[in-house]
Amino acid sequence: MTEQDFSLNLEDLRPRPAEKKHLSEYFMPPRHSFIIFHPDKCTGCGACEMICSTRNTGKVAPVSASVKVIRDEKEGKNFSILCQHCRKPLCLPACPTRAIEKGDDGIVRIDKLFCTQCGICAMACPAAAPIKDPCSQEIHKCDLCEGDPLCVKHCPENALTFTRGKALRWIKGLRWTSQFISFLLLVVVFIGTFCYFRTGSISFACPTGTLQNIASSGTIVLVGVSSTLALLILTVLAGRLFCGWVCPFGFVLDLVDKVTPKKIGWPSFLKSRMTKYGVLTGAVGGSYALGFQVFCTVCPIGTLCRSYGVQSFFKSAELAIVPALASLEIAQRRSWCRYFCPVGAVLGLTALLRMIKIIIGAKKCKKFSCIQCAEVCPVGIIDADKLREGLSPKIPMTECIMCMRCIDRCPYDAAKIRFRWQKAAPGEGRT
Amino acid sequence: MKNRKDKIAEAKRVSGADSCVECGRCVAACPMAEMYANFSIEMSPRGIIKKTLVGDPVVEDKHIWYCTECNAGTDTCPQKVSCRDLIKKLREAAVDENLLENAKTCKCCGRVFVAIPVEEFVFAKLKDEPANVFGVLDICPPCRREIYLLRNA
Repeated sequence: MTEQDFSLNLEDLRPRPAEKKHLSEYFMPPRHSFIIFHPDKCTGCGACEMICSTRNTGKVAPVSASVKVIRDEKEGKNFSILCQHCRKPLCLPACPTRAIEKGDDGIVRIDKLFCTQCGICAMACPAAAPIKDPCSQEIHKCDLCEGDPLCVKHCPENALTFTRGKALRWIKGLRWTSQFISFLLLVVVFIGTFCYFRTGSISFACPTGTLQNIASSGTIVLVGVSSTLALLILTVLAGRLFCGWVCPFGFVLDLVDKVTPKKIGWPSFLKSRMTKYGVLTGAVGGSYALGFQVFCTVCPIGTLCRSYGVQSFFKSAELAIVPALASLEIAQRRSWCRYFCPVGAVLGLTALLRMIKIIIGAKKCKKFSCIQCAEVCPVGIIDADKLREGLSPKIPMTECIMCMRCIDRCPYDAAKIRFRWQKAAPGEGRT
Repeated sequence: MKNRKDKIAEAKRVSGADSCVECGRCVAACPMAEMYANFSIEMSPRGIIKKTLVGDPVVEDKHIWYCTECNAGTDTCPQKVSCRDLIKKLREAAVDENLLENAKTCKCCGRVFVAIPVEEFVFAKLKDEPANVFGVLDICPPCRREIYLLRNA
């Protein structure tokens, strides 16, 4: 037997509980409590430090508080550093004695029994929130006073607020309803209406189909062009709202995504968002060469609308296209929309003329502690690294499908919709 | 300007190292045994106290840089010897003599704030985290708070 067989380490003695995700958490994510700090209201008085130190040590000694007020006399700015109870805390894996644990209620606690006061948690924390008391050499870290924080009660300017995040994610409900209704209308009730339909003087057509039609027939029919305008004007006004809120295939993809939470990822050579513009060019060029609408025969949105209706169900080989393309979802969320969809490519080109944008203000964002927006973004356009560095990420609106998941999720109100000409991000400039 | 002998004498006085009975309780409590695979008697608090007491060259010894300056050994000692204070003083002496191979200095203020072996341990634990976390870890905690203030307020 080797020496290795006898060695026991902390992994064996104090194993961490496996991360289990309850079924309800997929639909209702748990609301964890935390304290939000408003820098514009803080006067730097230090009342939070004092009241916190009485809880920690029984004495009024601001150095032994678990909140630290940083004052910049030159700029006249004050900031209080306190534990944000990160979703994925860095202090937790770094602790050599496994004294730090994140409870089911989301509060990150230091177990005083195992803590050796080494200060490695302060070394690992990006905001250095665990504070080493210079008098007693103890580590003090906020535990939210077990759900009733004293500092919030005693702040004279109400610069600290205790919150559990948003109670109602109404955008989420609205989006799913809109997607469901449009799926019902386009696929079940009015079969084939997405590609082209006409009643009297009102007509509507898919812009990608119209482009291919023009290429294959060589003639421009003004009625056909004008009937695509509804979708294009919607895109100019509100971004690619169609992709996130209306598209029936997008609804199918979102549903498939719910049942395939584990993603295997794409090989990097396929990860080019320019591919969809290539597909669009190929579709238009192919239509010109072959004389019929090439892409429309395999378009997942079109086949979903045409073949999955009540009359034509089980009659067509086109039925296979939607499951085949929806199975791309096991690689990445909305893989088809990200990389290949030519309908999205046309709307993306139209979105160059957009009037609104989504902006994430890094000043309001709490950076390392959250990064939920990058996690929930179905097309993965939010740059989490930029956010961690403390910069507002530039969100490419040609790729954004305007699902507004980031706005819905952000507990700090950092993600907002702004007009294109508005420069100030949330938390910057005039508030 | 004190010489090295005075500094080691002061380290002994501050930590009370002379009263060490070599019971080894500090070694049992020391979290370094968990942190480093090559934990040995030279690295342990008892080894360093012994080296200091018998007058071995301890200031240039790299083993003083493995400590995390925790309270575990100090709390458990029956003679109230503070191995933390001893190692702190020895490190101060090493920094005074410019023996900085194992000390990491802050990128902002230039202060020595962590020992390289401790930092390597933290990096090894955080290796699954995104790469730009490590840029933050090059800065000492007080400077990190200052930067946080300037960026967010």
